[in-house]
Amino acid sequence: MVTAEKKQFPVLPGAWTTPSAPGEKPHLIGSRCPACGEVFFPRKPKGRCTHCQHDGLEEIKLSRQGKIFTFTVVTQPPGGGYYHGPVPYAFGLVRLPEGVYVESPLVADDLDALKVGMDVELVIGKVWGDSEGNELIGFKFRTVQSARKKEAAGEIAR
Amino acid sequence: MKSLGELKALREVVVAGIGITRWGVYPEQEWYDLGSEAVLLALKDAGMEFRDIQAAFCGSCYQGVGSGHQALAEIGKTGIPIVNVENACSSGSSAFRLAYQQIATELYDIVLAVGFEKQQHKGFIPSTAFRPWERLLGYNVQPANYAKGVVRYMEDYGATIEDFSLVTVKNRRNATMNPNARFQQEVTLEEVMSSRMIAKPLRLLHCCPLADGAAAAILCSRDKLKNKDRAVTVAASVLASGVYGEHETAGGSIKFPPAVGMVELSVRQAWELSGYGHEDMDVIQVYDAMSPGELWDIEKLGFCRPGQAPRLLREGVFDIGSRLPVNTDGGLMGRGHPMGATALAQIIEVVTQLRGEAGPRQVAGARVGLAHSMGAGPNSVVTILKR
Ligand SMILES: [Zn+2]
Repeated sequence: MVTAEKKQFPVLPGAWTTPSAPGEKPHLIGSRCPACGEVFFPRKPKGRCTHCQHDGLEEIKLSRQGKIFTFTVVTQPPGGGYYHGPVPYAFGLVRLPEGVYVESPLVADDLDALKVGMDVELVIGKVWGDSEGNELIGFKFRTVQSARKKEAAGEIAR
Repeated sequence: MKSLGELKALREVVVAGIGITRWGVYPEQEWYDLGSEAVLLALKDAGMEFRDIQAAFCGSCYQGVGSGHQALAEIGKTGIPIVNVENACSSGSSAFRLAYQQIATELYDIVLAVGFEKQQHKGFIPSTAFRPWERLLGYNVQPANYAKGVVRYMEDYGATIEDFSLVTVKNRRNATMNPNARFQQEVTLEEVMSSRMIAKPLRLLHCCPLADGAAAAILCSRDKLKNKDRAVTVAASVLASGVYGEHETAGGSIKFPPAVGMVELSVRQAWELSGYGHEDMDVIQVYDAMSPGELWDIEKLGFCRPGQAPRLLREGVFDIGSRLPVNTDGGLMGRGHPMGATALAQIIEVVTQLRGEAGPRQVAGARVGLAHSMGAGPNSVVTILKR
C-alpha cells in the first residue's frame, strides 16, 4: 500500500518544547522579563519586553495546565481560506499560573459544555489537515475531563 | 508638542458641508463612484466648488493604492495634496482629524475629509489585523473576538444575551428614520435571539451588516463659510492607540493592567480640549460593530459605570427623546458598515442633529454631541462637535 507523504508544519515554530525522553511532556515556551517580571506568550524571539522595553528576555517553560478565562465557539468558517479545520471550533484565553493568558484552540468532547473557569491542559498535535495532505501541528488546550477520558482509552500518547 | 492651553487657542474649525450616500449593496458601483458622490453632496451642502478645496484626506480600508485620488479624479484634478488614510474602522474619523488639524494650525483654510468602502460581500472579512499563525488557527473572525469579551462581560456583570439583542432592536428602530441607512425595517427581540449563531453566544443580528457607501465633510475656518447659520464647530478631535496591557482580542496583561484604557484616554483628552463633560452631551454616536460594543463603549466613555449600561438601555435612557440618545441614525447596526466611511458617518450624524436637520429622529434642542469610533490596531477617535 502506498501512502501519500504528509507535509506537517508547525503553526508557530519554536513555540513549544519537544520531549526528548519517554514520559516527558511538551511545554509551551514563553518569554519572561528579568527587569519587570512580565511574561509573554508567544515567546518574543527578538527578546524585547513590550512592557518596559528591556532588551534581553529569558525563555521559560510555561505550565501545562491552566483555566479557561474566556472562549467562544465559532459556528461559521472564517474568511480568507487560511483555516481548514472543523466547524464549529472553539478558541479562547487560557490563564496560566505564570500570570499570562494564552490564546489557544480549545478542545472538549462537547464544545457546548465549555465554561469559564474550567481546568484545561496542553496538547500538541494535529489542528487540521487540508485536502492536499498538509497537516497543521499546533498547541491546543483540552478540558481536563476530556483529556482523562481519552487517556483512559489510550488515545493520547503524550 | 503643544500644551493644552496652546491647543485650545488654535484657530476655530467648522464643518461647512456634509454628504452621505444611501448605504447598501451596489454591485454596479465602485468606490470612486460612491466617494465622488459623497464629495459632490458635501460641496453642494457647503455651497462650495471643488476648486475651493485646498487639501484632501481620504479614508478607506481595503480599496488599495491611491483610492482617494481615483475617487476625487471623478470630479476633477486641481493639483491639491491628497493623502489616503487607512486607520481600520476609524479611517473616516482619522481623515476628519487630519483635515481639522490642517485648518486649526492655519496651513489651509478649506479641507475635505472623505471616507468610502466598496465591500466584499462573501462571508467574513479576512482581516490583516491578525498574524499569519492566528489566521491558521481560525482566530480571524471578528464576531468571535467580540464573543470572548461578551462571555467575560456576562460572567463579570450578570448581563444576558437579551441585553445585547436589545441594542440591535433599538438601532434598527432608529435606522427606519434614516433614509441613508442600509436597513429600513425594524427587528423584534425574538428575531435577533433566533437569528443564526455565528460565534457563541453572538448571532447574526448582533453583528452589523456590511454595506457599500461613502461619506464626506468639508471643514474650513469660520471666515470661509458660505452659510454661517448651519455651521457646526469642532470642539475636539482626539486619536489614541492601544495602551500596554489592556484587554484586547488576545487578552491583556495580568501583571500590569493599565491604569487608563485607550478609550478612557481619548475621551479624557477630548473633555480637556473641549471644556465639556458627560453631562453636556445631547446626543452621542458610539461604536456598535457588534451590539455588545455599544454598551461597553458607553461605559468606557464614562457615561455610566461598568456593567450598568444594560440596565440603562432597558430603561430607555439611550432612546431618542430620552436623557442620552445613542446612535440616533441606526449606528453601524442599522446603517451598515462600509469601513472607510463609517466613522465619518458618525460625525455627520452629530452634525445633522446639531443643525436640527435630522427629521423624525431629531433630538430636540441638541447643541453638543460626541462621536466615537474604534478600529483594529487598536485605535480610538473621539470627536466633539458643538453648535
Ligand atoms: Zn519588562
